[in-house]
Amino acid sequence: MVLVLVEEKMKINRYLITVTSDSILDLEVKNVNFLFPIQGYSVGFQKTYDIQKISKKNSYLYINRILDCESIQQLKKDLENINPNIEGICFTDLGVVQIVKSLNYPLKLIYMQNHNTTNSASINCYLEDVDSVLISTDITKEEIMTILNQAKKPLVLPYFMLVDVMYSRRLLLNNFQEEFHLQPKREEVLTEPISKNNFLVIENDYGTVFYAKKFIDYRFIQHPNILFYFIQPIGLEKEDVEKILAKEDLKGISDTGFLEKKTYYRLKEENLCQK
Amino acid sequence: MPKVELLAPAGDLEKLKIACLYGADAIYCSGKKYGLRANANNFTIEELKEATKFVHELSKKIYITVNLIFHEEELTNLDDYLQDLDAIGVDAIIASDIIVLKRSKDLNLHFETHVSTQASILNDEAALFYKKLGVTRLVLAREAHLKDIQQIKKATGLELECFIHGAMCTSFSGRCVLSNYCTNRDSNRGGCAQICRWTFESSEANSVFSMTPKDLNLIEYIEAMIQSGVNSFKVEGRMRGIYYIATIILVYRRMIDKILNNNLTVGESKYYLAILNRCANRDSTPQFIDGIPGREQQYFLGRDELSNQDFLGIVLSYDEEKKLAIIEQRNYFKIDDEVEFFGPNHETFSYIVQEIFDENDKKIEIANHPKMIVKLKINYKLEKYDMMRIKVIDKQKFL
Repeated sequence: MVLVLVEEKMKINRYLITVTSDSILDLEVKNVNFLFPIQGYSVGFQKTYDIQKISKKNSYLYINRILDCESIQQLKKDLENINPNIEGICFTDLGVVQIVKSLNYPLKLIYMQNHNTTNSASINCYLEDVDSVLISTDITKEEIMTILNQAKKPLVLPYFMLVDVMYSRRLLLNNFQEEFHLQPKREEVLTEPISKNNFLVIENDYGTVFYAKKFIDYRFIQHPNILFYFIQPIGLEKEDVEKILAKEDLKGISDTGFLEKKTYYRLKEENLCQK
Repeated sequence: MPKVELLAPAGDLEKLKIACLYGADAIYCSGKKYGLRANANNFTIEELKEATKFVHELSKKIYITVNLIFHEEELTNLDDYLQDLDAIGVDAIIASDIIVLKRSKDLNLHFETHVSTQASILNDEAALFYKKLGVTRLVLAREAHLKDIQQIKKATGLELECFIHGAMCTSFSGRCVLSNYCTNRDSNRGGCAQICRWTFESSEANSVFSMTPKDLNLIEYIEAMIQSGVNSFKVEGRMRGIYYIATIILVYRRMIDKILNNNLTVGESKYYLAILNRCANRDSTPQFIDGIPGREQQYFLGRDELSNQDFLGIVLSYDEEKKLAIIEQRNYFKIDDEVEFFGPNHETFSYIVQEIFDENDKKIEIANHPKMIVKLKINYKLEKYDMMRIKVIDKQKFL
């Protein structure tokens, strides 16, 4: 009986969901930790939250900016006054590790630079300093499974998310609109005409983020070494997230990214592949 | 002022030699594996040995880029490769993936480790994170402002390396996979297809979006950067040709030396800037050093990328007795053209082409075949690897 219960418990997924709109907070699902994009420290979100006003239990702060010297010192000051309900920080700038350690707070640290967590050895290096790492969205399923098998701490799996494919410190939309005297807009959809790829572009004062227009759907991946299943529902509402959690078919807005599509980097290899 | 280093790119052995001769203090290049210019010629291990010997004989340094972001398959031979580089005696590796820094430390290798600009270091706390991994130098993000450079130096005491010239990524380096999505070529493993220089269809009616940055050029900030603690001034361009490398490195060499000797004039500074601007095929601007680049630091539609044909030839040898320079032609020139000769060991001088002789000493009117050998009578002593260009900028006008 005890064994059965343990087994049941292991099957319960813990979700980490980015709060991309207020409606997400109304989700009535157990085992969810909310991840709040933070005003002044996040890029690529339509909605951000004041760091001092977040009080939801077990929540995480999302700090995905690459920070300059002034900003990281300001962050250090801001963290001194956060609500004790906050469980941890998801971040991309490794300076965050330093400041959180210097504050000596029991905050969990999750490294979320998904373009350089592409192998198990590097991830294990990061895990010496942090509690978990978001697995890269640029690798194949086979590579993900190797990483999950070899990581020395449970990891965060991209579960259903819009992937950031480019982050610039430049204000690319603003510059373009200024050049052509267009109405200011901080969100735009662009199409690359050759590959026909669409990109959602979101800009704020700290930079511009391009997202692949389709969500990646890794909902069929299961592994015991997963801390969180990460959902980044940019542009979606509560009802959509409920569908994601119910594993409804969402093929219209998603694909499997690079799970079955290996990338190349030498032109010769690419040509061989095409032949 | 402290001693500073001029760091040049080299895509192959010829470019490495040219960069050294024209005044670089150190060279960075890549082996056939693990560098971010996967489609450049790059160096075999044997060539790296030769390159290391060459630069060390000139009391210069060589750094090897091992800066791709590793996938599982590339990890297999990493230790062997690092040990090979160590055995060759390279001075440092430039890495961004944390596993490369870690393995270099664990294997007790002799070379230094430098953190690549791909790591996007923009603040002192991130710099301290890398310092504890044993690195000796940080290549800062190109987005660093002068005040960030000063603070990082103050907090870490580490050597700082900054890009001062060349092409820019639109994104933070290492934070872009547009190439992966549009072409299936992995930008973080050297396959970048430069999608950010393409155009996009906007959802605005009939609107074409583009975001190409102009090149970086920090010539006017060199002195401030030296005073802020920058130790190494880095030129981008492992895919560039020898004329570009020679011109850019020579300009920065002379400029830095004059700054260090406190005898750089405003006129000379403007002249050097004009030479740099002429040499590249894109305009260049200071980009992030003093703020966030606005629309004037980008290209939009209708940009003409100029093909520079100023490079007329390279000197193969000089016969002092006959006052005859043997030159390998690189672009069309003819009798009566006003040209310039420049090189590392003499001041640039002007010359009007009066006679051209072919390989068989026969007089000709034009030099119009690529790589044809021609001879010119020149009284000024030239040296092998001096270069000949069309004269378009008159230094006297700047002085």
